[in-house]
Amino acid sequence: MKYAKGLGLSLAVSLLASTALAEIKVGFIGSLSSDTGLSTLRGAEMAIQELNAAGGVLGQQIALVTADTGEDVTEGVKAYEYLAETEEVDFIISGSIDDVSLGWLPRMQEYQIPTLDTWTSYIGIIDMVIEDPETMAPYFMNIASDEALATLYISFGADVLKAKMGWESVVILAEDTAFGGAITGLVTDALGPVAGIEVKDIITYDINTVDFGPIFSKAKATGADFIYQVSSVNPQVISSQYVKLQVPMPMTGVNVAALGMEYWEDTGGAGGGISTLSPVPSVGFDLDPVSAQFVADYQAKYSTRPSMPHFNGFNAYHGLKQAMAAASEAGGFQDVKAWNAAMLKQDLKLEKDGKLWLRYGFWQHGEVEPVTGRTYPQNGLFDLSPPYEDAQPSMVVIQWKEDGTVGVVYPFEYANTELELPSWIKN
Amino acid sequence: MGLRWFHFAAWGLFALGLALLPELVSKGTLRTLIFANYLAIFAISWDLLSGRTGYISFGHPFLIGIGAYTSAILTKRFGVEVEIAIPIAVIVTMIAGLIVLLPALRIRGSYFALVTLAFMELMYQLVQVIRPDLTGGTRGMSGIQTLTRGAVNGFYLSSVLMFVIAVAAWLLLRTRIGTALTALGLNESAVEGSGLSTTKLKMFAFMASAFVAGLGGAFYVHYLGSIAPRALFDINFVFTIIVAVLIGGASTIVGPIIGAFFLTFLLEYLRPFLPGAERYFIYGGIALLLYMYQPKGIYAMVMKAWHSLHERATK
Repeated sequence: MKYAKGLGLSLAVSLLASTALAEIKVGFIGSLSSDTGLSTLRGAEMAIQELNAAGGVLGQQIALVTADTGEDVTEGVKAYEYLAETEEVDFIISGSIDDVSLGWLPRMQEYQIPTLDTWTSYIGIIDMVIEDPETMAPYFMNIASDEALATLYISFGADVLKAKMGWESVVILAEDTAFGGAITGLVTDALGPVAGIEVKDIITYDINTVDFGPIFSKAKATGADFIYQVSSVNPQVISSQYVKLQVPMPMTGVNVAALGMEYWEDTGGAGGGISTLSPVPSVGFDLDPVSAQFVADYQAKYSTRPSMPHFNGFNAYHGLKQAMAAASEAGGFQDVKAWNAAMLKQDLKLEKDGKLWLRYGFWQHGEVEPVTGRTYPQNGLFDLSPPYEDAQPSMVVIQWKEDGTVGVVYPFEYANTELELPSWIKN
Repeated sequence: MGLRWFHFAAWGLFALGLALLPELVSKGTLRTLIFANYLAIFAISWDLLSGRTGYISFGHPFLIGIGAYTSAILTKRFGVEVEIAIPIAVIVTMIAGLIVLLPALRIRGSYFALVTLAFMELMYQLVQVIRPDLTGGTRGMSGIQTLTRGAVNGFYLSSVLMFVIAVAAWLLLRTRIGTALTALGLNESAVEGSGLSTTKLKMFAFMASAFVAGLGGAFYVHYLGSIAPRALFDINFVFTIIVAVLIGGASTIVGPIIGAFFLTFLLEYLRPFLPGAERYFIYGGIALLLYMYQPKGIYAMVMKAWHSLHERATK
């Protein structure tokens, strides 16, 4: 009898202990040393902090574990395996770049762990969802995929570069990378023909170039109306030299460095006049009250860079909450099919001045986007047509001014400034 | 060949240990072991060429990548059965090995190392721009057919592959050809003076190394299920392979295996405590200490300890 009582007591204590220890485990996969990775990590941390303060999810507290990829593809596979097999996480939030995500995707298909990608925009992954919806059921991407980004960007060429600025010819300055090649293809094959802009020349430069003087001279000699830069590696070098050399031609394009608030500091204050495509919400983007509060809380909590979360920080903050809400509805993360169905129903509408401003929801299977005429299942919602009543545009174009401020110049419905020529060209 | 019973006993014990591991360790550890096995294969491949002949290759991922990309493209883009794709990938890699051999007929030392590095860089650029519809361009490919599912199956497959390659290479290097290759690394002119064809010997070493690299690369990509140029044609990948060989002990076959296991486990076991890039400082520090204390690697330390114990026991 004594033994039976003791056993019963032990069992009760064990049960209580295991209940107290029960937790939902979230894994972060991404770089712990890049602004990109840290944006997703911190967005997730803040969402978890708020959810835990409100009592957790399904009566359990949420714990976060991290796995660094160092933006390395193989490390990404190892990191995913670590989260799945060693940490046994319930849900994974990713701030991975394109090839790193593609690297761990087969592991996600194998483990079937619900996973939300907040940075990768590769349309090929959405195509995988269409081709194999069953094994891709755990996967969601809450940034507009690159086809949607490109489509709206072509409209910028027609509406602003041609119609407003009156530019009719362009010289492309593209870095010697596949990214440079891909964007150059977009400009020559789509943006140029659609907007009616003639491509005078394509100048490819090495990513280690430190002196852009001769390259800018060559660009000027083409007689083009403006320069289109494509720069993802060391982009602060080309933009700061453009300003310091006071190149007498306007320059726009894609400059990855300009996506963060640190751009001004990184260029030594010589980055004015540069404009670039950015996913939403970008730097210089007018924020709705909920997003503004998120940024205020973020800045109160973190003192190191990035001083403002990149777009994927917002995606992680809202996306993680949506993933947990879906888990609550589906009774957890174990039944992936149920979680997938609940996740597809998530729809957060954020308004600004009585107008829909940002929307965090997902395209449904079979739902056709009217402009591109294709489907984007499990991809974050976007709208490609003004006045953007269904969701936010897939991207905006921002411009850094010579006084260090930054604002949105396109689409017009979201613009808070106008595309301007640098002072040395205006004068 | 100087083979003794205890050599086979040691290999047998190693095989037994590998076979029992899934019963003893977690699945997470098995996943780490799989990467260690593949790194060991690549390190053996590098050791066959550079450890023996002294032709230091900085472009070894060039060969590994060709094996991996060939098999990936054949299976994913052309629907070729993986059983056929892997042998083709090995043959293609061996042909590529001949290309690497050409500069070795004229140059050696740092010049040869730089030429091989250039091969890797060239390949890195080519796979991104030439037929990206086949190679997947800068992002690479995902959804490549995998040979196994689950940690245990993946571990057994990689272990068998690594073990067979290791024993075969170990036996090969105990033959007269192995001795000639070692001599080639010590003094090429002397080997030539003794009437042996250094060109044929070099060709043999390059072909053997390319065979292992191609085989390892092809199996590796069918384990990962994905491939990207940054993952393979990368200077960090070269350094990882070379450091594994040097930490373990070059020109020994066993050394690169020890080095690969040590390196992979060190980095993975540090992950929970140092999740960021700080792990690499620890790894660099340990590697530095090892080089300072025993430049011939862990294998030499183990052998020294073994001989010392043996001497004490026989006194």
